[in-house]
Amino acid sequence: MTGNPAVEAYLHAAADSMPGPRRERSDILAELRSGLLDAIDAHRATGLQGHAATEAAITEFGNPRQVASAFRPHLAMIQARHTAVALTATGPLVGLLWAAAAVASHITLRHAPPWQWPGAPPLSAAAFPAIAAALLILITSTVITIAATGKLSRWLPASPRIAAAAAATAGFTAVAADLAILALLASQLASAPGTLDPIPVAAATTASLTRLTLARRAARSCLAVRATLT
Amino acid sequence: MRAETLKGHLDGLLLSSLEAGPRHGYAIMEALRSGSGGQFDLPTGTVYPALRRLERAGLIEGTWSQEGGRQRRVYELTSAGRRTLTAERGSWQQFSAAVTALLQPAPRPATP
Repeated sequence: MTGNPAVEAYLHAAADSMPGPRRERSDILAELRSGLLDAIDAHRATGLQGHAATEAAITEFGNPRQVASAFRPHLAMIQARHTAVALTATGPLVGLLWAAAAVASHITLRHAPPWQWPGAPPLSAAAFPAIAAALLILITSTVITIAATGKLSRWLPASPRIAAAAAATAGFTAVAADLAILALLASQLASAPGTLDPIPVAAATTASLTRLTLARRAARSCLAVRATLT
Repeated sequence: MRAETLKGHLDGLLLSSLEAGPRHGYAIMEALRSGSGGQFDLPTGTVYPALRRLERAGLIEGTWSQEGGRQRRVYELTSAGRRTLTAERGSWQQFSAAVTALLQPAPRPATP
């Protein structure tokens, strides 16, 4: 806060048309605030008094909505990057928990693939290739997002629309993978409940449900930020 | 000068303004304005998005610091930024030399 109502009103107007990750937005607004105060000082140094210096600084910065819209591609890139980094950080953990659940349930010791087990639900043969395909899409779109939004963007000038779309794809694919594995689990529990070790399965289920919720939210934010780009 | 005319060169100009040492956003803007003799008078607010973009690309690095009683985000060139500036400068010199040569008024044909 500056105690200067005109500066705060300017920042408020800019913030209103600036979607994206909260921390990055508030960092940007803090930088604009400090820049506006510098501009006011500069105009005071030329002899302008009080409110006139503030007015001149605000005119110099330009329309707040225009300034906000100039930040939108950057904010879309940051939103996409956060989503991809979060998916990269949590993906292996979710995978490991399911692998641990499989090992604890002695799935790896059985000689037949899961869809041939006694009592295997009818769609389980389709679930495994679906999960494998989802993982492939998930990894590809995450790699694209990370490459397009970081230092590699120097050589790979991707548009923020593409980055946000890739990140949203990664997020929704993670949701689909979680849903597929949970559906498989549900049908296994329904048809042959005694075959699974409850504690590791519960841990993996909790991880998948949490990731699913967060990934869905992140993917929707990416789409929302993308929609504000012109 | 209109913002669109400057657009393709803004990155190089911003990097160049940091060559002598770290600066905060408003000082970068003032350097552009005074260094161009007032020719480059962009809306100040639009310099900040460009700085964020350059930072994301790893060409500059911004850190908050307390300076004269005010928190300011101070930018510094990274080594990749220095390399990019050198490359940018070289290609601009080639381009401007070529344009200058082509825009020279043609010598009048000798009258017979």
